[in-house]
Amino acid sequence: MKLIASMFCLLLLAGWRSPEPGGIVLRFENRAGNEVLIPGNTYVLRNGDTVTPYRFKYYISRIKAVSGDGRSVSLSDEHYLIDAADSASQVIALKDPGFPVAMISFVIGVDSIRNVSGVQTGALDPLHGMFWTWNSGYVMAKLEGSSPASHIAGRQFTYHVGGYRDENNTTRTVQLHLPDGMNQQNITVIADINAWFSGKNKIRISSTPVCHSPGELAMQLADNYSTMFSIARP
Amino acid sequence: MKMRATIWIMILLVLACAGWVNVDNYFRPTPVAFNIPKGWPQPVYDFKSNPLTREGIALGRELFYDGRLSKDGNFSCGSCHQQFGAFNSYDHNLSHGFNNSLTTRNAPGLFNLAWQKEFMWDGGINHLDLQPLAPMTAANEMAETIENIIRKLKADKNYRQKFRSAFGDETINTQRITRALSQFVLTLVSSNSKYDRVMRGEDTFILPEKLGYEIFKKKCTSCHTEPFFTDFSYRNTGLTSDPYLKDDGRMKITGKSADSLKFRVPSLRNVGRTFPYGHDGRFFSLLQVFEHYRKTMTVMPNTDSLLRNRLPLSNFEIGQLTAFLYTLTDSVFLKDPRFGPPGSENNDKPPVDFHP
Ligand code: HEC
Ligand code: HEC
Repeated sequence: MKLIASMFCLLLLAGWRSPEPGGIVLRFENRAGNEVLIPGNTYVLRNGDTVTPYRFKYYISRIKAVSGDGRSVSLSDEHYLIDAADSASQVIALKDPGFPVAMISFVIGVDSIRNVSGVQTGALDPLHGMFWTWNSGYVMAKLEGSSPASHIAGRQFTYHVGGYRDENNTTRTVQLHLPDGMNQQNITVIADINAWFSGKNKIRISSTPVCHSPGELAMQLADNYSTMFSIARP
Repeated sequence: MKMRATIWIMILLVLACAGWVNVDNYFRPTPVAFNIPKGWPQPVYDFKSNPLTREGIALGRELFYDGRLSKDGNFSCGSCHQQFGAFNSYDHNLSHGFNNSLTTRNAPGLFNLAWQKEFMWDGGINHLDLQPLAPMTAANEMAETIENIIRKLKADKNYRQKFRSAFGDETINTQRITRALSQFVLTLVSSNSKYDRVMRGEDTFILPEKLGYEIFKKKCTSCHTEPFFTDFSYRNTGLTSDPYLKDDGRMKITGKSADSLKFRVPSLRNVGRTFPYGHDGRFFSLLQVFEHYRKTMTVMPNTDSLLRNRLPLSNFEIGQLTAFLYTLTDSVFLKDPRFGPPGSENNDKPPVDFHP
């Protein structure tokens, strides 16, 4: 009898999900160079332009851990929307990979299937303003603000990067090696907006202040920002 | 003593479970079957992800006719999509939106959407559930934010209750709003025109209609393909760009110059009711459309190969074709009381057959 009763209790307990012991907490820290990026503050970029970002958001998905001998395990099936204006969005609790982690990999962007399957919920709810309603598809990453370098109304720049179809697919895979001997459970990933402008492609606000549709510019920006991440050293 | 306590705890647990089943989870909305008209292909809409239910359709209908989905309360879906025009903007080349603005395209009729893969004249929207987001948030249409729409609906007890009956609980979110709207517009099936009755062997064409059908099969069906009277492709039919609207059509979506001024082939079902015609409503009558095909069209480098020499039509052919096109008017559909604003089904007048 006692046994049955305790089994009942166990069943009830099983329904509760507690944070997993040994799980990884991934924290995203948005920066402009060495300074923490706070929307509304003004920064000088590496290319000399002065910018005041208003919005900086991007989707992270397919987070994986890879071991030193090449084993790889998925840590989550979710999409996360990292928003520089919302500190809660910058912390992601993940499961325990079960082995020492040598590398973290993730995709910046939204799976193509989610771009063609109607209206999603949670982080992918179109109400977050990361969805193009007239040309279906997610904005994978967005950087908006003002800059004296801009020659358009309000001295603005708005980069909405998206596109999920073949040659215009803007999802990018990012792989980050963990430095030896660092804490495996609290990993801070730095995202530096300088890479948007000074990556493989040189993008100047003065000549290219706007990206609002899939295509070549969106692909160039995606290539650039795929290199904006690094692991913070303790 | 200990034993008794355990038994009591177990009984309480069982009761709690039973209560949980009863209160929240026993309830199921009433499924509604989607009928495929005889001889039509399988629909492309994924009904498994959004099964039709009586409650879901009723909720979608209420939302479709509710002005609160717009910023100032004036522009419901139904204000631009009117039943007597087969859900186009009747007699309007462009539709009226928020703050005296106009849309940049002609509102097409809404019917047989379950068989359509892409939406809008340029095919920019890839799923029916996503379609409502475009007018809701466009400054020249309903001009509202999704957050505000959700806030307004949540404040209304009637809606909280209806979302619960349709989806099992009171959660109101983007997905549920758009799925309910889809459920309603999916029921807008038009398959009871005289043409359909003739095809089913229940009626016969009079001579001009019959001759018109023959001409149609020769000159029009490669694009306006039966039974939908469109093959859902995008084509350049030699319509020059309006200097004010500057609408590049399909090219806006694909970015390819080969798609310049291509627009989706529109269905011709209910075409007798859906004037004005063309993606920007520039033709006010069928006669103007025929004049375009045979005379005024501008043949461009990417104009459809079928139209390189325009589309020769004699006056006689135009007369017969017109007679045939009018047989595509589905008067049952245009008057179906299930599709009007909620409450209108209490109107007990039977649909009157209408042949203009
Ligand atoms: C201000 C007028 C207006 C309002 C309000 C409006 N629409 Fe439309 N609708 C249009 C126009 C114009 C088009 C064609 C747009 C285009 O092709 O660019 C259209 C297109 C559509 C289509 C695509 C049809 C096709 O064959 O591709 C659907 C479905 C639709 N609307 C449903 C709705 C729903 C549901 C609502 C309410 C949430 C709504 N509309 C509100 C004007 C409106
Ligand atoms: C090469 C493909 C093609 C052929 C052949 C063709 N059409 Fe069209 N038709 C279209 C396209 C595409 C449009 C939309 C044009 C636009 O607005 O940009 C259209 C529009 C129309 C419209 C306006 C409908 C509306 O709701 O706006 C009518 C009516 C029409 N066609 C009738 C006919 C008839 C009758 C024939 C045969 C004599 C015919 N078409 C042959 C492709 C074709």
